[in-house]
Amino acid sequence: MGTSVYLFSGGQLRRKDNTLVFESPDGTKYLPVENIQEIYLFGEVDLTKSLLEFCSQKEILLHIFNSEYEYYMGTFYPREHLNAGHVTVKQVEYYLDPQRRLDLARRFVEGAARNMLQVLKYYRNRGKKVEGHLERIQELEGKIPETAEVPALMALEGNIREQYYRAFDAIVLQEDFQFDRRTRRPPENHLNTLISFGNSLLYSAVLRETYKTHLDPRIGYLHTSNYRRFSLNLDVAEIFKPILVDRLIFTVLGKKMITRRDFDAKLEGIYLKESGRKVFVSEWERRLGTTIRHRSIGREVSYRRLIRLELYKVEKHVVEGEEYRPFVAQW
Amino acid sequence: MEDEIRINGTLVWYYTFCPREAWLMSRQMTPDEDDENVVIGRFLHENRQPRGRKEVEVGHSKLDVVRRDSGTLVVTEVKKSRHSLKGARMQVLFYLIELRKRGIEAEGELVVPEERKVERVVLTQEDRVKIEQTVEELRALLRRATPPPPKRIPACKRCAYGEYCWA
Repeated sequence: MGTSVYLFSGGQLRRKDNTLVFESPDGTKYLPVENIQEIYLFGEVDLTKSLLEFCSQKEILLHIFNSEYEYYMGTFYPREHLNAGHVTVKQVEYYLDPQRRLDLARRFVEGAARNMLQVLKYYRNRGKKVEGHLERIQELEGKIPETAEVPALMALEGNIREQYYRAFDAIVLQEDFQFDRRTRRPPENHLNTLISFGNSLLYSAVLRETYKTHLDPRIGYLHTSNYRRFSLNLDVAEIFKPILVDRLIFTVLGKKMITRRDFDAKLEGIYLKESGRKVFVSEWERRLGTTIRHRSIGREVSYRRLIRLELYKVEKHVVEGEEYRPFVAQW
Repeated sequence: MEDEIRINGTLVWYYTFCPREAWLMSRQMTPDEDDENVVIGRFLHENRQPRGRKEVEVGHSKLDVVRRDSGTLVVTEVKKSRHSLKGARMQVLFYLIELRKRGIEAEGELVVPEERKVERVVLTQEDRVKIEQTVEELRALLRRATPPPPKRIPACKRCAYGEYCWA
């Protein structure tokens, strides 16, 4: 399986014969192209057309972050190489039928809520005061089947997540990382910055796995497809945010691997400095590589693979009518 | 897919051990490309072809190698292992029938380069009936709107659809 490359500094990324080379003030780095599946560009990087052609040919995704503020800008998604018209048609069929679309969207919200509850239960068992939030989420979760339209479901999902994030203060217990309220573009405090950064890494990871299936990432069910941006990856990411991103945040804060010193306050908002990004990304890679025992497949699979399996389940839901049941962590 | 069901030799081969795989393949729902065996298969296909010989298209099938051996036309099918040779034999027989329909008499050959194994395949009247029957069954399967549900068979263990089927 291919690897991910993270380029933090600025420089020039180009094709050199049959390989990739990154030239930066820190030196020249050759990137073995056959193994790479995606490249994250955080710094101010110059790209050439021949590089893009080469990446497309080698099926490499380029995730681009605004170099000053670390916003996720977008992904260079190479020409589809696994085309299966039948799957696309089925995906659209489920999107266009309001009941089927709502049904799938509810499953994503349901899975997300269940995983949030798992995270909170874990901390409740460790004596953190999250009981109230937990109960309110359970209450809200009960209303998912009552939603009659996707926008109402989205709003409910927002309420659930709000309750969930409010529990973070009781888990993190650090003055420097109070939740306050969810802000993005730009995130207005340190915790929000970590949530945004983590979520954008997750969106890109799901996108990369989508590329390996026959699904079209533009057709989402909870998040509206407007044919300009990817939305299916946002849907599937909901399932994994609590168990991959949020747990990672608790780890790096609990172990003081990231502290207030790793942030910069800029004109608008708070940003992770390179030091903080590097720590976060290396922990992220470690987490994606962590394996768990998968019962029906009968062997160990990594979390990265688990994302792919989730997409396969969505594919089977639309193509074969086999009901999609979201992954829920067992601990 | 509604307009015409395109049967080719590879589908016949899949069908002999896993009808579900044949259905998925017929919809271009290709298996996991990162799978080790898929990578090896692709490599064998690209690199183990005898020099100067190319794939030949007959109907909807692509024949690996076609050559002339002291006057007889020989169709070769290259496989990675002997595990599915029974199905591979059906695949070659299907090619021989397709060729005969076009007035070409040929013989077949199965090659497993990894195991240095070569096996001759000659079309008999009995085979002919059997293949035609199989193709009819396959046609009926592919007309279905959804694939047959996954069934655990020994091949699942190394199949590149394993994760798709059992996720």
